[in-house]
This record gives sequence, C-alpha cells and structure tokens, in this order.
Amino acid sequence: MTALRRPWASPLVQFVVASLLLFGITWWATGIFSQRAARSEAVADARITTEVLAHSVAEPAMSEGLVDGDPGAIDRFDRRALGRLMVGDVRRIKIWRGDGTVVYSDETELIGQRFALDAEQLAVLRSGATSGGLSDLRRRENQFEDEENGLLEVYTRIESPEGEPLLFEAYYSVATVKQRSAEILTPFRRVTSLALLALLLVGVPLLGVLTLRLTRASRARERLMQRAVDSSEAERRRIARDLHDGVVQELAGTAFAVSALARETSVPPAAREELDGAGRSLRHSLRQLRSLLVEIHPPDLNAAGLGAALEDLTSSAASAGITTSVSVSGVEGTSDHVVTLVWRVAQEAIRNALRHADASTLDVEVRGDERQVHLVVRDDGVGFDPEQPRRDGSYGLRGLKSLVEDGGGRMEVTSAPDAGTTVRMAVERR
Amino acid sequence: MTTRGIKTATALAAFAVPLALVAPASASHGGSGRDVRTSGACSGSAHWKLKAKADDGRIEVEGEVDSNKSGQVWQWRIKHNGSVSAKGKGTTAGRSGSFSVERRMANLAGTDKFVFRAVHGSQVCRGTISF
Repeated sequence: MTALRRPWASPLVQFVVASLLLFGITWWATGIFSQRAARSEAVADARITTEVLAHSVAEPAMSEGLVDGDPGAIDRFDRRALGRLMVGDVRRIKIWRGDGTVVYSDETELIGQRFALDAEQLAVLRSGATSGGLSDLRRRENQFEDEENGLLEVYTRIESPEGEPLLFEAYYSVATVKQRSAEILTPFRRVTSLALLALLLVGVPLLGVLTLRLTRASRARERLMQRAVDSSEAERRRIARDLHDGVVQELAGTAFAVSALARETSVPPAAREELDGAGRSLRHSLRQLRSLLVEIHPPDLNAAGLGAALEDLTSSAASAGITTSVSVSGVEGTSDHVVTLVWRVAQEAIRNALRHADASTLDVEVRGDERQVHLVVRDDGVGFDPEQPRRDGSYGLRGLKSLVEDGGGRMEVTSAPDAGTTVRMAVERR
Repeated sequence: MTTRGIKTATALAAFAVPLALVAPASASHGGSGRDVRTSGACSGSAHWKLKAKADDGRIEVEGEVDSNKSGQVWQWRIKHNGSVSAKGKGTTAGRSGSFSVERRMANLAGTDKFVFRAVHGSQVCRGTISF
C-alpha cells in the first residue's frame, strides 16, 4: 500500500480536514471575541447612557427635600423623571445617599430602605467617576429583580439641590449584551463561512488535480525504481550464475587437479609443495569467490532463507573479528519482494558498519508482526554526527530509504559520535 | 351686626368649616382594595370628591370640585403624607360647573395619606383619603 492510497495521507483529505478544523477554531474564537467585544461595547454604552440619565434627567428633576425622604419631593421627581429614566434597556433606577439609604427608586418599596454600599460604590461616590459590572442579584437590595440573564449595573455621582453627593445607579438587561454579541458575530461568521466555502470550492478541485498528477508521478517513479531494482537483481543473478557455472567450476576443477597432482609421488617433493600451496591458494580464492557470489545474490532469498542469508552477510564481519548476532523471527509468509528489500537494507547497513564504524559488535534483528517486518542493524562503532554532511554521501542507504518509503515503509538512521549507529526499517510485509 | 359680632361670627365660621370638612359625607372602597373613594361638602354650596387607585406601582389620586357654577377659578393642592406633592389652579366648566385634577403619586412604604384642598374665595373644600 502506498502512502497516497491511505485516505488520511491524501493532500486533498488533509486540506479539507485542515480547512474544517480552521473553520471550527475560527467559529469558536469569533464567538469568544465577539462576546467580549459585545460586553465591552454594552458596558461602554451603559456608562454613557447612565451619565446622560444621571446628569440630564435625574439631577435637574430633583427638588429639595428628596434626600430627606419628603413624599411630595419624591412624587414630583417620580412624575418628572420616571418616564425619561426607564428607557431602552434600563430595568431599575436607584438613587442612594452616602449612608446607603435609597432616596428614590422606580420600585417605590425600596425608598427609605437602607443597605450597605460596597467599596466600589463608595469610591464612585467619592471620586465622581462612573463604574459598573454584573449585578449580584443575591444582594438584599436586588430582592425585586428577576431577570433570568442577570443585570448590568452602572453607577455615577450626582448632587442633590442641597449639594449632597448621591449615587445614581442604573440597571440594564444583560440580554442586550447577548443581542449585541449576535449582532457583531452573525455578519462576521457569515463572511468567514462564505470565504471558507469559496476557498474549498476553488481549492478542492485544484488540489484534486494536483494530487492526481502527484499520485501518477509517484507511481511512475515507483515503477521506475522497482524496474531498476528488478534489473539490478536480474543482472546480479546473471553475473552470479555465469560466475558459478563458469569461473567457479573451472577454478574448482583446477584446484582439484592441482591438489591431486600435489599428492602424486612421482612429482618431486619441492614441486609437490609448490603444487600444494597453489591448491590452497586456489581453494581460498574459490571460497572468496563463493562469498562474493552470495553477496551479489544469495541463492535462497526468501522468508525461510533470510536468516541464513543474513548469517552469510555477517560472516565477513565475523572474519574481521567483530562479534556478530543475527536474529530472525515472525517472518513466515513474508513476500520474496519484501525479504529482498530487508536483505538489501541489511546488506548496505552491514557494509557501512564494516567500512566506517570500527565496531566490536554488530547485531542484526528481523522481527515480523501481523502487519509489518522490522529490521534493526546496530553497531557499537564510532558513529557520526547526523547534522554533519557525510564524506561518502551514504548514497546506498539513501537510495534504499527512498525505495522503502515509496513502498509505504519507513527507514531511519540514528547515530552520534562514539555512540554507534542504528539503522531501523519497517515495511509492510506484503 | 356690630364689629364685635362680626369678629365672633368670623371666628365661629373659621372653626366650623374645618370641622365640617374633617368628616366626609361618604366613603367607599373598591372591591379589590385598589380603588378608594370619598366625597363631601365644601364650606359653601360646592361638593368635593376624592379618589385613589393603584396604577402600575403608583397611586393615581383624583380630586374633583363640583360648584354648579362655571368659570370659577379654584386654587388646589394635594398633600402626600403631609407634604405638598402637587398644586395648581382649576377652573370649573360645563353644566355641572366642576373641575378635576389627577396626579400619580409614589406608593410609599406603609399607608399613604392624601389630602386634597381647594379654595375659591371664602369657599374651602378639603378631603382626606388613605391608601
């Protein structure tokens, strides 16, 4: 299975998922920000409205005696100001003395009652600033409030005709904040949604075409790579067969003849010794040639023969005094193509270890699970810094990595100076 | 009538008028207790009526003077718990020769007491109502 055949690996699917994710995040974020903006705007509006009501309506409508609870003054204020105070979202009005006595409220039962002012209210009374926030409806002064969504209260300072500072407090419905939020949010979300939809409408077909081209190019490249590997395999097989059937047979025959001659008693002893040496040399060359043949193309490159083939690969390391181990498990039923790939990667890794690592141990492990075959080639050699460019370029492993990844697998090389090198590969078993 | 006789009569009249106004001729309450009415005679030939009813968290007080003479200008005022809440002038009109005033008052804690007083020359009308 190639990477492009997995649905989630498709750039098109990734693009759509990323777009939807972005859309969701935008949707959520705009909701949060618009609520904040709406609340801030509603509070700012409420502050302005409160100041206008306090200084343009309430203050001029007060007559002397109101602060002392004079019923006539309360009536006059109520008749003059109530209709102009209870406008828009205003749900409640209270005018307080500094000692917490309500001198006027549209809820007349509160008039004359006394409640403790909080620190913020007292600060406003002292400074003359305007302040506000969400009302605590559990407070006794708010016993008549039954707004489900809560209330926003804003207070500012006014003066009675007698010159006494009073706290003017207006309460607003919080439902307005939600309404403002919707007013801000709806057009923004509409624009965002349309923009994303347009992007999807344009982007998806475009990306679809590009993905198709990319997929075709990738498959063509994969085919070419596979063909190159197959050709290389065929060429190796042919060379191995030619060497085995020709040079090896001839060398074997020659070695046999020379050894037989060396045993002839009619041959002078000095010549027999020379012939015996020549026979040994021929047999040594024959062994080297057979090792080379195994390296070029092992005879039984399938799942059952993988262990032996890897043993053959590490035999040259063992000859060089390196302690080697080969472990193969769970590879039964793995296709020959995958076994060849595993062997090639192991061969390249072992070759690199022998050339550069100066290692004392070399471990090769192949482990198969239900889905994949894993290869690990680990040495305890000098290692290298992966950040630094390699002098030899390590083209062999790089080329194999490309081949592995094209086959839907993955391969990585981890190393550090004086910490050895580990080559790991995982590939689909079929 | 001698000067002394005039003074005595004036003193008696001044004493007698408030006494006449203190006790209204009749009073009635609305069925739900939200409508209270009272009426009575003024110091002259005129009559007064006073009504109080609940109105959206407020008390609407209505005072009326019926003198049977059109074109009379009366000075009136309404006190709420002893404090002047509203005052003005009213002119009798129509065949009945009457005028009326309506004012909304705050419904304060406890019982609210309203006094309606109207004066035209020597005629004084005064009514009281509690709500």
